Amino acid sequence: MVKQLRTKWLAISMLFVILFSFLIGTTPSTYASNVSDKRVIVMGTSPDYPPFENTDALGSGEIIGLDIDIAKHIANELGYELEIVSIDFGGLITALQTGRIDFVMSGMSATEERKQSVDFSTPYYFARNTIVSKAENNYETLESLSNMKVGAQLGSIQEQVAESVPNVGEVKKLNKIADLIQEINANRISAAIVEDAVAIEMTNANSHLVANYLPTDTLDNGYAIAFPKGSNLVQPFNQILSEMEKDGTLQRITNEWFPEVKQADEKRTGLNIDFSVLKGYVPYILEGVGVTLLFTLVSAALGLVLGSILSLFKISNIKPLKWFATAYTSVFRGTPLLVQLTLIYYATPQLTGYDIPALLAAGLAFGLNSAAYLSETIRAGIMAVDKGQTEAAIALGVPYRKMMFRIILPQALKNILPALVNECVALVKESSLVSVIGVADLMRRADIVRANTFTSFEVLLLVAAIYYVLVLALTSVAHQLERRLRRGD
Amino acid sequence: MIKVDNLYKNFGKNNILNGISTTVEKGEVVAIIGPSGSGKSTFLRCLNLLEVPTSGTITINGQNITDKQANIASIRQHIGMVFQHFHLFPHMTVLDNITFAPMQVKGLSKEAASAKAMELLEKVGLADKANSYPAKLSGGQKQRVAIARSLAMEPDIMLFDEPTSALDPEMVKEVLNVIKDLADSGMTMLIVTHEMKFAREAADTIYFLDNGLLLEKATPEQFFNQPQTERAVRFLEQIL
Repeated sequence: MVKQLRTKWLAISMLFVILFSFLIGTTPSTYASNVSDKRVIVMGTSPDYPPFENTDALGSGEIIGLDIDIAKHIANELGYELEIVSIDFGGLITALQTGRIDFVMSGMSATEERKQSVDFSTPYYFARNTIVSKAENNYETLESLSNMKVGAQLGSIQEQVAESVPNVGEVKKLNKIADLIQEINANRISAAIVEDAVAIEMTNANSHLVANYLPTDTLDNGYAIAFPKGSNLVQPFNQILSEMEKDGTLQRITNEWFPEVKQADEKRTGLNIDFSVLKGYVPYILEGVGVTLLFTLVSAALGLVLGSILSLFKISNIKPLKWFATAYTSVFRGTPLLVQLTLIYYATPQLTGYDIPALLAAGLAFGLNSAAYLSETIRAGIMAVDKGQTEAAIALGVPYRKMMFRIILPQALKNILPALVNECVALVKESSLVSVIGVADLMRRADIVRANTFTSFEVLLLVAAIYYVLVLALTSVAHQLERRLRRGD
Repeated sequence: MIKVDNLYKNFGKNNILNGISTTVEKGEVVAIIGPSGSGKSTFLRCLNLLEVPTSGTITINGQNITDKQANIASIRQHIGMVFQHFHLFPHMTVLDNITFAPMQVKGLSKEAASAKAMELLEKVGLADKANSYPAKLSGGQKQRVAIARSLAMEPDIMLFDEPTSALDPEMVKEVLNVIKDLADSGMTMLIVTHEMKFAREAADTIYFLDNGLLLEKATPEQFFNQPQTERAVRFLEQIL
């Protein structure tokens, strides 16, 4: 109990610090420079872009790829120890700016737009933009895509290429390459514009798709390493890059990672589900169950303890406590969970210097959020307990705290058990949100496998089944608990 | 033992008690009777501050409990209370119901509290129900457990707020017998009741309340045979 209370206060004070600092303006980060003092250099990447970077889900589970090998080489030359952090592509620039990472290699093109927020090295790879479409359509030029719906990965350079299609019908921007393939299969888009290496993998994994390279044009500025503005790492990195280019190391690494084009085999049409593509990936996905469960447990426990305390505040006669609890509920219910999660994860290291682990940040965000909802549920549960229980306890001289924790709350919790189970079930499923900050939960792992296999349905069906089994197990535990609590009736 | 002086209690604009003064001696058994809404329960609840008096003083064992400085929790430990609707803790067994307060408030060991509880259960004739949950008991059994629960704190004074009003008629006697035994043992007691026969047999003094006033204070003999006020005469006519 004491320990949980302490966690609660830690959480509350941290929250206050965060909110307060937003009012007085953010302080510059010292986090990244601390790290480089220790001769560790932190790289951010979104490992869903083979062969540049992806998770070796069949093997070690580590992040591997062309970018990784180049980064390792450079870090090694400069005498740094390389640490790799997995972050969604859309969050990489933010992570750079907030100082969570020192540089980014993630198949990132050095666009003018990005140059306004980050510094780039010289390019280390020039990709060709490629149109991927169904074999029967076989679109070869941008002109042939006029008036059609065209897909591209959100935040990628190809997004702009797609926009440049003359009279383009609509540009659909999706997070994952695997999503693009599904959209082509479903005929929601006519073609996707991706880069050559990805196109090769896409067509290898889906033989009914074809790839057509576009001529290299000025829009493509090449892949480069991104640094925070004014970083003193740019110069030494460029130095090593130019040496690598001269001595052929760069070409050697590139050749190692580029796949051979497979010959098209059987034609794949319609929804063709083949679970054999998951072979070897299942253990990797199942490891996510532990993460998801741990995370749910932490956030449910935090939510329950904090929610109980808030509900006691709400029914207390002390006005400031009441106001606090009401304001808390209002804020946490009134803002999106995703926003809270991102704020806690990115703002905490900048404000406190504490590099909060993703799983803790997620548990904290979900626990704090869940507490807001639970406090209302628990309050209703407390109100439903017969007033005579309070009077009987008072008449016996039982102090308030003991009365609440031993007499009133146990009865209140019994009343609201079904609502609590609902909350837990919601937590299990909502936990998939944490993949945004790179926690390797079930959903994140599923995304990684989708990126590796370029197929979607098999993985999604598998994780759906796993989530369902988890919820079933949870419900059955809750049922047992309810029976136990109701033994008095 | 208990001294009440000019006790008033309002709920908003409703005046429930309109100046009650009286003294209860150690070992005295008082039956409080009167029509509905006369303030009987409120008067009783003021004695352990479940209701806070609007004005007036209550002194128990020489201590002014209406004083703001008074340690209410410690005073309440010396005053047991039994409610019309029992208010047993439903999530605890009978034994846990009885041992809870002695262990949590007085700091008794589990063994000492259990021994005491079993002794009390024996006394109210429910030793075999120690491990049952309240929901499994009849109304009369619940009320006897509630009495045992109060007694476990070894109070100097017992307050009974209509202890048999929620019971089926055939259960009333078993509860009244327990209360009567307690009265015979010399406990100071105040009982709000509608059981006139019981009041007559068990009480030393009858308080007749009407409209928040203590209209009559007499021995059962006097009160039931020669009520002094016209209101008491009418009341007795209606119920007897």
